[in-house]
Amino acid sequence: MSAKNLFLPAAFVRAPLQNGVGRYVCQLQRITFKFCKSHGGSRGLRDFIEQNLVEFAKENPGVVVYMKPRRHRSPVIVGEYLNGDRVWMSVHNKTHDEITKWVEVMRTQQGDVSSSRLRKYQYTDHPSIQGPWTPFTFKIPELNTAQLPDPKFGANNRLPQSATEELRLMFEKQKLNVKEEELKVAE
Amino acid sequence: MAMIRAGLQRIANIFSGPQGGILSRFATNLVPVESKPVPETTKDVIAACNKLIEQNASRNFAIVHLLGKQWRITDGDLLVVEGYWPPNIGDKLTLDKVLLAATKDFSLIGRPLVQPGLVTVTATVISKGLSHTRTHFKKKRRKQFMRINFQRAQQTILRINSIEIANKVNEAPKNVF
Repeated sequence: MSAKNLFLPAAFVRAPLQNGVGRYVCQLQRITFKFCKSHGGSRGLRDFIEQNLVEFAKENPGVVVYMKPRRHRSPVIVGEYLNGDRVWMSVHNKTHDEITKWVEVMRTQQGDVSSSRLRKYQYTDHPSIQGPWTPFTFKIPELNTAQLPDPKFGANNRLPQSATEELRLMFEKQKLNVKEEELKVAE
Repeated sequence: MAMIRAGLQRIANIFSGPQGGILSRFATNLVPVESKPVPETTKDVIAACNKLIEQNASRNFAIVHLLGKQWRITDGDLLVVEGYWPPNIGDKLTLDKVLLAATKDFSLIGRPLVQPGLVTVTATVISKGLSHTRTHFKKKRRKQFMRINFQRAQQTILRINSIEIANKVNEAPKNVF
């Protein structure tokens, strides 16, 4: 079972026939219950048939339900889908509740989805609407005609203030203060 | 007093002198193309966006928050949502947590969500199935430790039907809720 994973085909998300764009169509078309009338392994499936099957068929008029009793063989559910997939599942010794759940899975899935590993979890026909990003997106159009190197575009304006510049600033301030003091004295 | 003012002026000159001053590297040299006052420009931009919404000129896209993940979606996309999620096949949903909605020419960015009722995103549940069997295999060498677990996650496939900018930008919300 584990080794099988390594050989799983990979697939992309798809929906048959643009399903859901205009209206939704249930993908399960046919479901076949194969069971034995006497063996214990089919007990759960027999319970399901007795209690839930009529209701299931009523609720899903688009699904054709077949039943196939066969002597002394283990019970099986087979679902056939609109995209041609056929899902076979053994329900040997499964309880009534488990079978109810598995039938629900059969009904709601759109084909043999679990037989392939999904590569992506999204599918889109329009990968980009505003255009893919390039290094020139959001740049100033002036840059196109500028003669490089240019002091305007080559200016180092991304780094924080350097120590030299801080010193210069302090020096200028100091000069001002000195002058002010001098002035005050003069007053 | 006049002297002090002169001194302040000099300080100000250092910081913003004729050549941009000492702080020029912290300010952009960009001159705005049009020298309109800001509120007027904003109005123009909003009017242009509203016109584009009315014309319905290009395809819309949106970023929606769905079950802890953010998806960039446009009309006709397919999404696969993993884990337990109650909606059943054939259900039509509206995705309300819209973080961003955009057309080719402008983007409406939510903080964190765009105004409720401004953007309507509708989706249909197409399929609910199980993923392939994932194997969790653990082994520690020389420690007699080995575990193997198998699991299958529930997968819901969603079809995005439409992304519509229902209201106009900067208008009072229509009470949808």
